[in-house]
Amino acid sequence: MGRVLEAYVGEYASGKSENAINRGRQLARKGRRVRLVDLDLVEPFYTLRPLKRRLAREGLEVLAWETNELVGLGEAAIPIKKEMTTALAFAGDVIIDLGYGVDGRKLLNLVAGSFATDNAGARLRLLMVVNTTRPLTSSVPLIVAYIQEFGAVDGLINNTHLGAETTVELIQEGAVLVTEAARRVGLPVVATAALRPYARQIGPYDRMGNPVRPLDRYMCDAFW
Amino acid sequence: MKEVVRKGCTVFSDHGPAFGWDGGLLRKGGRVIKETQLTGEYGAVLEKEQRSFMTGNEVVAWAALAAEADFMYGYPITPQNEIMHYWSRLAPHFGRGFLQTEDEMAAGFAMLGGALVGKKTFCATAGPGNILMQEPIAMAEMMQIPGVWIIQQRGGPSTATVIYSQQELRLTTAGGNGEGLRIVYSTASHQELFEYTIKAFNRAWQYRFPTFVLGDGYQAKLREAVTLFRPAAKGWTLIPAEPLVRGPGIPALDREPVHLRNTFNIEEELYARLEEQLAAYERLTPEVVEWEVEVGPETEVLLVAHGIVARAAKQAQKMLNQQGQKVGYFRPITVRPFPGTALRQAVGANPNLRLLVVESAYGQLLSMVKAELYGLTNPIDTLLKPGVGVTAEEIVATVTKRAPKEVCHGG
Repeated sequence: MGRVLEAYVGEYASGKSENAINRGRQLARKGRRVRLVDLDLVEPFYTLRPLKRRLAREGLEVLAWETNELVGLGEAAIPIKKEMTTALAFAGDVIIDLGYGVDGRKLLNLVAGSFATDNAGARLRLLMVVNTTRPLTSSVPLIVAYIQEFGAVDGLINNTHLGAETTVELIQEGAVLVTEAARRVGLPVVATAALRPYARQIGPYDRMGNPVRPLDRYMCDAFW
Repeated sequence: MKEVVRKGCTVFSDHGPAFGWDGGLLRKGGRVIKETQLTGEYGAVLEKEQRSFMTGNEVVAWAALAAEADFMYGYPITPQNEIMHYWSRLAPHFGRGFLQTEDEMAAGFAMLGGALVGKKTFCATAGPGNILMQEPIAMAEMMQIPGVWIIQQRGGPSTATVIYSQQELRLTTAGGNGEGLRIVYSTASHQELFEYTIKAFNRAWQYRFPTFVLGDGYQAKLREAVTLFRPAAKGWTLIPAEPLVRGPGIPALDREPVHLRNTFNIEEELYARLEEQLAAYERLTPEVVEWEVEVGPETEVLLVAHGIVARAAKQAQKMLNQQGQKVGYFRPITVRPFPGTALRQAVGANPNLRLLVVESAYGQLLSMVKAELYGLTNPIDTLLKPGVGVTAEEIVATVTKRAPKEVCHGG
């Protein structure tokens, strides 16, 4: 298996950061070198920054500001760290958590090699995280419209949940919608992501045959 | 193509378009008819009444849509920005409008113009934006032009933080150079943000006083489940916006002329007008005030908090009662008009009752509570944390450990 290069993109509050962290952890547990990049520079809330040290202790190389490095900047736009512009020049896997929406995607224009293929044929894949309980991605036509507005991506991740009110059936219903939307635009569903207890109940594949990725919660500690 | 006909929208009468930009809107019988391929899909979000996982800012945008608001005027400021983002994503699918002005003062004045020609208008702001907005709000108060303002409080004073506080309570309830004749709802959950935003539109156009939903940065950004719905599905009737000026007929011949004033030549003229307005405000107060209370004859400590801090207080009350403490809870939902009679009733029967006032500000709620309890001698403890959040655990620790700090001696 060559280098894994993935950027987690999509609708605001869809679960991009949680999925990026967990993907990084999953790869690291296999003994792979993983760099996790915080390119959520849209707003100061709910980013990887407060988790930087904890994730580093858990074996990830984290490229992110620390909250205290930004003290004094107020709400002026958060600058890109110069190391982020060469984030993909790394011998191991690179997982990018990208700010929300079309404007978040534009940040990739500042990262060298975002749209290129490396010598071994690896290239950055954009994975769109979809929670079908989010109103703007709550039906097949709305998911399709969102993808069309956003631009080309390489695959979808069903991340349907309702916080504390999540049920296995809800996740499965999300899988049905996301899979149908993916079929209409000719994209694969890379995974259904679910918190570990739900993932255990669902098993290795969801109702639509998509692989299930268990999630551990990190972002609840990352408000600021 | 299905027709989307909006109820109560009479603005596009024979006067032509009220705004230059919207010449592309389809009209039929004076009503706006416009849809896109996604209108039905977005509309279905309200119809289905499913649980949705949302941030508070998004909830407000959907509430404005459900309340059939016509137009948002705004200027960006954290933490309210996604109200603008989501409204401007939704509005084009429903023939509604959005205008980003050059600053908050312009947004506020543009709102008044929209309301004059019969648009249901709203705005969202915070912190320094809330300060700038006070001038148009004072004008709205003087001229009784309706409008809805969403305030997502951030740290203060000045630019301070983009995060959170309850430091805009005084500004929102009593800002401006007048008497603070406003209606202000302080919400504590996403469901309340949705329902009170809808209610705020009705109150604004019913009473024609500036109406506010007072949220905060936590509620703005927090994610939790909420059920969106169409007001009609709950039997709620929306009050339509009618043009305040440029009505049919010739003024003074066919109808009374409309003369909305914010300038008066002599003191007595102003005084007469204010007396009318103050009387109107007194009349609406019992119809509008809302609160939550849990108190009994055995209650020893009454937690008093508003907004999201009231949510922590409610949790603390539960934890303390499980420990065998006799703790009650009082939460003003309208912080203006303040439910003073209800608070006094909750406290007044029991001279041994201690109050614990909790807020993310340095005594803004406290001063309101003291004013309402004038003459009573109940001790008042405080947990005042300006610009930062308050947890249920902190409230529990305060109740179980702290000695009384402050006593209300009745002024």
